[in-house]
Parts: sequence; structure tokens; C-alpha cells
Amino acid sequence: MANAQQPGAPPPAPPGPTANAKKYAWPEKPAVLSTRVKRLDGPDKVSGRAKYSFDINRPGMIFGKIVRSPHPHARITAVDLSEARRAPGVKAALVWKEPGTTPTSEVRYQGEPVAAVAAETEEQAMDAARLVKVTYDVLEHVASEQQAMASDAPVVFQGGNTRKGAAQETGDLDAGFKAAAHIVEQTYATHVITHVCMESHGCVCEWDGDKLTTWVSTQGVHGTKDGFAQGLKIPGANVRVITQYMGGGFGSKFGPDAQGLICAQLAKQAGLPVKLFLDRKEEHLDTGNRPSAFAKIRAGVSADGKLTAFDGQSWGTGGAGATSNFPLPYIYQFPNRRRVHTDVYINAGQQRAMRAPGHPQGCFLTEILMDELADRVRMDPVEFRIKNLPAAAPNAAWGDYFTQGAKAFGWEKRHATGDPTPGPIKNGFGVSAHQWGGGGRGGRAHCDITSDGSVVMKVGTQDLGTGTRTIVAMLTAETLGLPVNAVKPEIGDTMYPVCGASGGSTTAASISPAIRIAAGRALDQVFAKAAPQLGVSADMLAAGDGRIFVKGNTSKGMTWKDACKLIGTEPISIDAEWEDGLSSTGTSGVQFTEVDVDIETGIVKVKRILTVQDCGLIVDRLTAESQIYGGIVGSLNFALFEDRILDRVTGQMVNPNMESYLLAGMSDIPKIDIMLVDTPLQRSRGVIGIGEPPTVSTASSIANAVRNATGATVRSLPLHPHRILAAIEEQKAGGTK
Amino acid sequence: MAQKNKDPEKPEQIDRGRRNFLKTAGMAPLAAGVAGAAVAEAQSGATVVGPGNVPIQLTVNGKRVNLNVEPRMTLLNALRNKADLTGNKRGCDRGVCGACTMIIDGRTAYSCSTLAIEVQGKQVRTVDGLANGATLHPVQQAFCDRDALMCGFCTPGFVMATVALIEKHPNPTPAQVKAGLDGNICRCGTFTRIMEAATNVKGVARG
Repeated sequence: MANAQQPGAPPPAPPGPTANAKKYAWPEKPAVLSTRVKRLDGPDKVSGRAKYSFDINRPGMIFGKIVRSPHPHARITAVDLSEARRAPGVKAALVWKEPGTTPTSEVRYQGEPVAAVAAETEEQAMDAARLVKVTYDVLEHVASEQQAMASDAPVVFQGGNTRKGAAQETGDLDAGFKAAAHIVEQTYATHVITHVCMESHGCVCEWDGDKLTTWVSTQGVHGTKDGFAQGLKIPGANVRVITQYMGGGFGSKFGPDAQGLICAQLAKQAGLPVKLFLDRKEEHLDTGNRPSAFAKIRAGVSADGKLTAFDGQSWGTGGAGATSNFPLPYIYQFPNRRRVHTDVYINAGQQRAMRAPGHPQGCFLTEILMDELADRVRMDPVEFRIKNLPAAAPNAAWGDYFTQGAKAFGWEKRHATGDPTPGPIKNGFGVSAHQWGGGGRGGRAHCDITSDGSVVMKVGTQDLGTGTRTIVAMLTAETLGLPVNAVKPEIGDTMYPVCGASGGSTTAASISPAIRIAAGRALDQVFAKAAPQLGVSADMLAAGDGRIFVKGNTSKGMTWKDACKLIGTEPISIDAEWEDGLSSTGTSGVQFTEVDVDIETGIVKVKRILTVQDCGLIVDRLTAESQIYGGIVGSLNFALFEDRILDRVTGQMVNPNMESYLLAGMSDIPKIDIMLVDTPLQRSRGVIGIGEPPTVSTASSIANAVRNATGATVRSLPLHPHRILAAIEEQKAGGTK
Repeated sequence: MAQKNKDPEKPEQIDRGRRNFLKTAGMAPLAAGVAGAAVAEAQSGATVVGPGNVPIQLTVNGKRVNLNVEPRMTLLNALRNKADLTGNKRGCDRGVCGACTMIIDGRTAYSCSTLAIEVQGKQVRTVDGLANGATLHPVQQAFCDRDALMCGFCTPGFVMATVALIEKHPNPTPAQVKAGLDGNICRCGTFTRIMEAATNVKGVARG
């Protein structure tokens, strides 16, 4: 899995642009693309006018509430809805997990859905949910990786609590270790965190006969439509999914989930629209998380600073029956290596993709090791990394970025490991590198141009907050030579052409080529109408500044409005889809961090972060930068604050809220400097995607900065104060070398 | 890691909804449980209402809003579910994330932890009433100009907290912005640009 994209990612695109991609190649001097365009739906979002799925109120609508297992592992022997049905306001009730004696009647984590009710008000629904009587036969559980892997552990999962993968081996490990002048042997780890989308998972479901309309908070309207159709056993044509605005997903919102199907069934039973959105505790327990990652690593380095060997045994938990794999080693070239990964199952909610799945874990485990190895050979960490990179390529440009970033950051001021200045506040610098695939394919778009000059671009994608709605308009406007506000982007509805889900940083790269080609072909038709009037052939025409004109003679032409008057009553209506040659895959980036650590309290204060990041052709520079800010803050949370804590005895999550599950606020945010790579080479690659790469490195570079400040190595996240203090004490006691 | 005190100069101004909630919760055991508290209140001449629906009259964004709600209903739920004022959001429902932030008699409050019945007679301002038609409030405009939002779900709360801040400190320092907005959480991580927006609000109407 070394240096690989997450499992299930699309294969790399075959080389070679299509004829359309050549004809509608990105402009060398764009008028709109790569500029800073304010997000079009900003005014709706800041004013409260934007209707998120959570905000949809339908006539007669009632509220659903799910009854969940309080036990991490139990068999359901009976569910009694009778008292709940008699409660005030109750209109529907159902059993989701049928009682019985087979494994299908088992709940395998705290918070697994068991039953549900719907009532006139949310408060009544909560009351009624408490009246559902569920009888549990409590079973043995495992609440941590350690418990699940213990030799005397109860076997709580069919086929065992662990699943060991095949060894991946390259080169000659023995020879690699023989060539090593120094060997580091340590165990590194990252923890489980949850997505904490501000808008919880859920939907509003409304039936009209056998047709379902549902407003869902989802990262993929079309995939969710399919999920409803399959889950409810109805034709896909009978389902319409709408997501005009959604409050964050980060990889956790790809289908209807149990709550969606439950909501639809409650609505059917009640004969009324039902709103069912989860509360914060349900979010933590049952809507995904980033798996933990552990690795016992033995790694060798030669006297001159070349990596020679890597032997890693890794494990981690994705919860009840889910995988936990991640790329390891990350980026750097160990010519001889072996790695075996074991999935460990525990009685906790299943993992889901979380912003750059696998990469923050693999990055942390490798980057901390890299600083330890660099110290053994007494090399600067940046120099050491550059010496061990894979061959440079457009999607592997770390060498340049390390050099540029180090200069801009003032890396030369870094002291050796351990701040020698007296006093309790120690200052340190850290660095890390990352990669992500991005790319994407398969998007579709539909362009309508009418005789009044209006332009509508319909794309069955969705805007997670990344700015998708805005780039749909920008890409169309660029192609038609119009201002951005002359285009009406229509997204977030299965009435629009099929597009993939927004995951893996694939949205921009999958929809941009389709939009470019749809708009380009529509423009050809406008040219065909205007050409006779201008007395030239259509291929002599160009569009720009709201006009259609003869190439090389801009004064000979007409306004866009006048050209569109020639369209007549039948609008121009063009469908197009993704084609190869306008997008690409693979990004690289590096990050530098400066921290202050109070060695008396263990508190880490991140002072500044600098990142060098590429993403191919930048679409909207403003929202691309926002993605980078957001990725960095997400990873800062991963490093310093958030932590899903399960009670090791009861298996209950002890912080299923936002007051004990910590996230950064304004006061925790460092100065962040972004160097967004915008070179002819990157532009020539086409659109790639930027959502995930910036969130990979930050935690690692913070941890390395803490190490540089304190001289103590914290080999596992989160960097909570007590863990920093423990590492400092361990270091004082002689370290672990 | 948010600090909940929204004005560093007035440490007593901890969010009133949360404080009142805590005060009530703290008093209940002294009066031997909730029922005991009701009895104690009845004996002192206070009116006992509920537990069923009671009519209430609120003043929201300068307009009267008549609702029938259970006394336990939060201000946030009452406005979202009964009055279709859905601008302010529910993130945590426990007075932490700030997505529900409203301004009540000039002070920020977590409306998820404020009961609807307790704000009768008070001026409630929500994000829905901030813009003047198509003209955004200067704080809203600053958020748009600086791209101080991504998914936008926390944004109504941040906007309201910023409005309250700006009405006290028209040209806030970064330290004042941090203190004023530390009771709000943005999961998308837009803080850098929220700081830019809050320190670049132009043409503020003093409230």
C-alpha cells in the first residue's frame, strides 16, 4: 500500500486527451479561472436564507427519533413499541433490529439503531423513544485494540477479533539492515477521531403515493438516491434526492444510512413528511470515524543518510468489523521493506472515510520516524527528507517545495533537537510532506442557453462547502466569455445529470471537464447562429467580455445578448460528460510548523504554519485557499484536541458531545501562510482537487516541532498535555534509544 | 478548547442562556427536585405553567411572534420548528458550538440552551432579521468578501457573535475578536478568514 491512494480509488487516467479535450483545452490566459471569485452562495449562507436539509419544514411535518443500543454488544430478545405508540403526538413506530437468536439480532456497538418513533414535535418524539421497551441479552465486548488482541480475549466477531493481511515485501530486508549504520525500533500510533459535521446526518422524507422526495445532508445525491431505492426496494425513478446546502461531511455522508431508511419508513407509516436528524451523541457513535493506527517499526539508515530498510507491523481498529488500513511507509523511499497490517475489530461504531482516509495516519507514523532517523545521522530534517524522496514528477515535487518552503519559513533558524534556551517555554520547528490522488472522472453536465441570453449549467453534484456551486458558474463563464453572475449554476438535485459523490477530492476534476465541454459545444451553436450575421464562418468566432467577435478583430462582433436573440424559440441544450485530457490526478505538498511548548504544563501553542501546495489548474483561488486553511485546522484538531474516548470497562464513549470532545476555537488558530503553486506546468495538468491534501501533514509537522522544542518524542497522538509531560519525563530518565 | 466568556472586559457576561440553565439546574436539588421547585414557586406566588403547550408572545427581529409551546421547548427549537425561522442552526444542543447564537437584549446567547418562555418581553435578534432585504449587514458583507465561511452551517452563529462584538467594539483588536468569538466552533476551519472579516467590517450600524 506504500504511497497508494485510499482503497477503492479510481485507477489512474489513461494518457492522452480526447478530441473534445483538445478542442476545448483550458485557455492559456484565463479571464475567470485562477482568480479570486467570492462564493456565489455566500449571501444566502450569511443571511440564513440558505435552506440546508436540516432547515426544510414541510406542511404537516413530524419528527423522527431513533432508539439506540446502550450496550456495546448485546442480543435483542424483545422490542415492545406499545407504550410508545400510545404516547402523546406519536404517529408512527417501527422495529429496525428484529429480536431473535441469530447474529442478525445482535447489536455490536453502543448507539446501533434498534427501533424508531415519529411524533408531532421533537420533544414528543424523544419522550416516546424513551418508552420503547427493548430487552437485551448483554454479551461480552472488547473496547480497545489491546483488549481485542489479548490472548484471552472473548471472540466477539465471527472469524475472530483480528484479520491479518498478507505481507507486502520489496527488496532484501536482511541486506537493507546490514547496510544500516543506525537502526530505530519504535512503536508509533494515532487515535480515533470522529467527523463532527456541524449539520448532523439526517433527512426529511415526503411520500407522494409511491414516490419519495427526500432532502438529505449528503455528499452524493445520486448515490444516495440509489441507496434509498435499494434499501426501500423501490425503483430508482421513484426517488428524488435534494441537497441544496449541506453542513459538512468530511467523508461520512455517502448514503441514506439507517437513519434515512428509517425516516422514509416512518413517513410512509405516518402518511406525513418526517424530519429525522441525529443529535450530537448519535453523531459520535454511529456516523463514522477515522480508524486508529499503530505500527511497530524497525528502520535502518546508512551513515550517509540514505534509508536502507523498513520492517513494519501495523494494526488499527475501524470499529465493529470495519477495516483500518493506511499507506506505510509514507512517501520516502525505503529500498528494502516489509509491511504487514492487521485489522482489529472492537465493539464501537464503524469507521468511514475521513478527509484523506489513511494518509494522516501513515504520514504521522512515517514522519516522526524520519526525524528520529535524521537525528541518528545528525542531518537536518529537510535535507534528510530531500535525500530520500522518490523521483521528482509533476505530482511528486516535494524536493522543490521543501527548498522553497524552508526559505520562506526561515528554517535556517531551527536549532537542533531540544531548545537549549532556559525557561519553561521551548520553541521548535517541524516539517512534514504529503500526497493525495485527487483527480476524478465520470461527471456529467447539461448546458441550456436561451434566446434571452440566460445560461443555466445543471450538474448533479453537490456543494459540501468547498465552493462547488461557484466553480460550476466560473467554468461556464470562462468558456462563454461571460461574467460569473451571468451563469445560473444548478446543483444538488437528482433531477440534474448524474455525477459521482464528492469524496477523495474528486469533484472539481470530475465535473470541470464536463462543464467545459458542455459550455464549449453550446457556444459552438451560438457561433453557428451568429456567423452568417457577421459574414464569417463559425470557426472564425470567439467569445469574451460578454461579446461574440471575430478572432483578431474584436470590434467586429455583437453582444452576447444580441447573439442569443438569434437562437429562436428552441433553446440550445447540450449534454456532455467527463473526457480525458482536462483533468489530472496526484498532488504533493509540504508543511512547516513553529510551536511553543510549556514544559511545565505540557501545553502546545502552535504559532505559525506554512504550506506549499499544488493542485494543478487552480479554479477559484479564493475558495482553494479556504480549503487549505480548513485542512490545516482539521489536522491541528487531530494533533492537539479531539479524541474519541471509550471507557475501557463499559465500552461507552465518555465524551459524545462537543464540550468534552475538544475542537479548536479562534484562540487556538496559528498564523497560516499558503504558497499555492501556480506554474505553467501545474496549469497544464488541468483540474485536480484540493480538499484533502492539506489536512495530511499538519499533525506530523506539529509533532515534529514539539519534538524539536522539547527534545522528547511523543510517538502517539493526540498531543495532549499529560502525554507531552510523560514524554519529557521519559526523556529525562534516559529516553528510549 | 473554546472559552465561553464572550466579553473579556465583563467576566460576568457569560452567555446568559447557559448560565440561567445552570442556575436553574443547580437550584432544583435544593428544592428537592423539579416538582419541589414548582411547589416552592407556587407557594411564593409565581405562576406555574405547563407541562402542556402554553401561549407565549416573543419579539423576534422587531416583530411579534405568537406561539404555543411546551415550557421545556428551547428558543432555538421554538423558532426553527414553530416559526420557520431556520437561519440559526443546531450543532451540539448543549451550549458549546455556538451555531445557535442569537442576540437577546443586546447580549449573545446560546438559543439551544435558552427556553422560549424565558425570553418573553425581551428583544430577540436572529440571523434571519439581520439583512435589510437584499442589502447585507456590514458583518455579513465582510464574511462574504473574505470568504469567512465554507459549509456555512456555523456561519449564522459566528455572524451573530460578530455583530454583538462589533456593536461593542466597532474596530475590534484580534484579542477582542478571539474573546468575542471563542464561544463558536467552525468544523470546516475558516477561523483565519473569520478573523479577517471581523477586523474588517465596514460601516457598522451601532446597536
